[in-house]
Amino acid sequence: MNKQKWIVRALEMGVDGLEIYEGQSAERSVAWFDGQMDSFVTSDVKGTALRAVVGGKAATLVLESVDDDKIDETISLLIAQAKLVSSKDADILREPETTDEVKSRAVWVRPSMEEIRAKLAAVEAAVKAADPRVKQVTEIGWNESCDSREITNSKGVHVTDSGRSQILYAGAAVEENGEVKDGFHIEVVSDLSKIDPAEIAKKAVEDAVNDLGGKPVSSGQYPVILERRAMTSLFGALTDMFSGDLIGKGLSPLKDKADAAIFSDKITVVDDPKNTDCLSVANYDDEGCPTRRKVLVDKGVFRQALHNTKSAARMGVESTGNGFRHGYAGSVSVSPKNCCILPGEDSFDTLLEKMGNGLVITRLAGLHAGLNHITTDFSLQCSGYLVKDGKRDRPVALITVAGNFLELMKKVSAVGSDLDWEYRSLACPSILFESCAVAGE
Amino acid sequence: MLTKAQLERYLSLCLASEADFAEIYEEEETSETVSSLNTEVENVARTVKSGAGIRLYKGVQSVYGFSNFVDDEHLLPIIGDLRSALGDTEGKEAPAVTLTEAAVPDNNPVRIDFESVPLCDRAELVFRGERAAKAYDGRIVKTQGRLLNVRQRVQIANSEGRLAKDLRVRTRLMIDAYAAEGDNFQSGGYYPGAGQGLEYWEEKTPESIGEEAARSAVVMLSAVDCPSGKMPVVIDNEFGGVIFHEACGHSLEATSVSKNQSVFAGKLGQKIAADCVSAVDDGTIPGAWGSENVDDEGTPQKKRVLIENGILKSYMIDRLGGRRMGMEPTGSSRRESYQFEPTSRMSNTFICAGKDSFESLFEGVERGLYAKKMGGGSVNPMTGEFNFSVREGYLIENGKITTPVKGASLIGSGAEILLNIDRVSDNLTRGQGMCGSSSGSIPTDVGQPAIRVSSITVGGTANE
Repeated sequence: MNKQKWIVRALEMGVDGLEIYEGQSAERSVAWFDGQMDSFVTSDVKGTALRAVVGGKAATLVLESVDDDKIDETISLLIAQAKLVSSKDADILREPETTDEVKSRAVWVRPSMEEIRAKLAAVEAAVKAADPRVKQVTEIGWNESCDSREITNSKGVHVTDSGRSQILYAGAAVEENGEVKDGFHIEVVSDLSKIDPAEIAKKAVEDAVNDLGGKPVSSGQYPVILERRAMTSLFGALTDMFSGDLIGKGLSPLKDKADAAIFSDKITVVDDPKNTDCLSVANYDDEGCPTRRKVLVDKGVFRQALHNTKSAARMGVESTGNGFRHGYAGSVSVSPKNCCILPGEDSFDTLLEKMGNGLVITRLAGLHAGLNHITTDFSLQCSGYLVKDGKRDRPVALITVAGNFLELMKKVSAVGSDLDWEYRSLACPSILFESCAVAGE
Repeated sequence: MLTKAQLERYLSLCLASEADFAEIYEEEETSETVSSLNTEVENVARTVKSGAGIRLYKGVQSVYGFSNFVDDEHLLPIIGDLRSALGDTEGKEAPAVTLTEAAVPDNNPVRIDFESVPLCDRAELVFRGERAAKAYDGRIVKTQGRLLNVRQRVQIANSEGRLAKDLRVRTRLMIDAYAAEGDNFQSGGYYPGAGQGLEYWEEKTPESIGEEAARSAVVMLSAVDCPSGKMPVVIDNEFGGVIFHEACGHSLEATSVSKNQSVFAGKLGQKIAADCVSAVDDGTIPGAWGSENVDDEGTPQKKRVLIENGILKSYMIDRLGGRRMGMEPTGSSRRESYQFEPTSRMSNTFICAGKDSFESLFEGVERGLYAKKMGGGSVNPMTGEFNFSVREGYLIENGKITTPVKGASLIGSGAEILLNIDRVSDNLTRGQGMCGSSSGSIPTDVGQPAIRVSSITVGGTANE
């Protein structure tokens, strides 16, 4: 693609600004099943998103194959799309800006196919050997991907970067007294040769075994600890409340809540795309805006919404550098990146002691459907275990936990110290809540 | 798109390996979404995708590569990687492959292609839906609308010599309405669609969609917290079929059955549901959201009877699953795009109409839940445990539908709930959804008549 030619021609045709976002992704993955390679996937994909601003209105067109001979036709289409936009909010392309850049600390060693096969076979054997109750090794796999992006616009923005990730995963089904449960573990791997198959197997099998014998509890109000992974999935499903776009449109529960206490004073939420503890970092968002660390909620008080250029302009503030796309085919939306609830002082065991008697929830299901993003009402299937006198008691399954997230977050008794980013760009520590409605028997 | 000769050459090269089967899937797709807030167009986004995926089998091993650079420079290295992933290729010759294009009857003809209509007229369909929602009730304070149009051309060629082509056109109008009364803010949405062109909106008017979204939002203003516990539940038709989709449909896919990872594995011919339950997965319904002429392996779509009077009759099987299970594929292989290796998936899946009247479902229910509109849900095929949310629910008290409730979810195990269905009414309709699984997000219809489940766990928010 001759970008200069596209930009020059677009401006000649009456476009006020043109942004060209190119994303490329190459992947290699191997899955293992029943003693042999089950599947192998290799890919190389590139896409280009064009965003044209005409009279303050933007239109987007995503192309997987760009033809320099079809510039006029393509730009005409974009102009027609932009002219239909009737919203009063202005679309603006950014001017070039600079920032102090950080680099991801991850160092990746790319394994050979032989190493991958040998390690997957070893993990499979380790899962089988980990516990006599293992019924089946449900899945074992390796995935590595390399992504790059390049953002160019007619105002002179030019940002380019790339990232890599490598993960190993294992799943196991265990059976006891006719009951089957499954477990899973996923691990970010910088050097496959350093991975101990027994460690991976142990985590996957424990995840399954822990749920064996799970039964409902009586319905009622319980003190509850949302274990860090369950807390992360619940919080992650609701972080759109911080979107300045939704707040501006009146579609977030945080509209009109600036500087109000929305959570317990034990809760502080930070979004920092430059946090090098995380798997991937971004110095610029997908509009070319520099990113920075923001405290969204400071000791329970809502201080800062996330913004892209458009949502910020609508509310008369500056973009926070959170204008991200979900790949080249997504449009620029407002998304958190490397967002977390800051950890507290208490170890997980201390949380158990503080709770005394209650319920630990380790897994939540149905997050894509069981939540109301406007009211933050939720009702979710979950599993975990009962706690008696600060110690783990019996497993619990087939119950639902329900409530209103904003109300729940005001009833925080303690925040755990066990924040762990793993492969995620959003993470929470375990949190002990005074009480939560549980439906079971 | 690749020519027949190009496809034959690539397939032949694929077979110069340990592979016993090769397939090339190629796709071109144009999609457009017009988004509006309060009848002002916020965005018009178009995406034009094109790419190819190449798959090789050796027994039950499958290797897959894809790219959107459809040329020798990119496809030959992918073929090389795939061949070597299956083992040593030395001395392997490339056998000739001769393709014959299959005659594929068009079950889903399109009268009005979306691009044959001016863009402003496409936007007007959204506005009509939004205006109807706004006009429905003075408490409707915001409306949102999206019109999605997709045109996908595919060709699938395999080393058995079959070349099949298909054109899939889909349209969907999504209207959300927001109702407010003081601090109480509730939403309602309705998202119908079809495997048709814009002619579908002559039959299903945008106004009817906007009004339905608004009605649901207004009802929820008066909803109280839902009680919890085990109780009889009447689940209404249309999107209520998500219960069968989640609780049973996924566990009947070869993806989980072939690896013995489903509660229904090895149960063909056995009773898995109450006698009053029959269910089908039918990818041939003309113009339906989940229909297509051929599946994504080029096999003609079919009507599959999954359950007949409670007896398990068939699974949904893709080619690879069929190899593992020693069974014929059922035309059930689907994928989001060339970026996904296909697997067994549902198309239009529903519980068949029964003989009970809708009213009779409430008879004798002293205290229960009427789930008029369902949200989405999910299932663990290994354990059969499912959950789904109730978007619009009401209490049943002494056989009557009474107060609206919010925050309800239904949980249970698929194997159990199928046996606990005790009434099936005669008002079968289907609703549209996007189904996510290992081969990506695909359009599927769910459906059922209103059914009654004698006992199911309801998760609610009320303190009792």
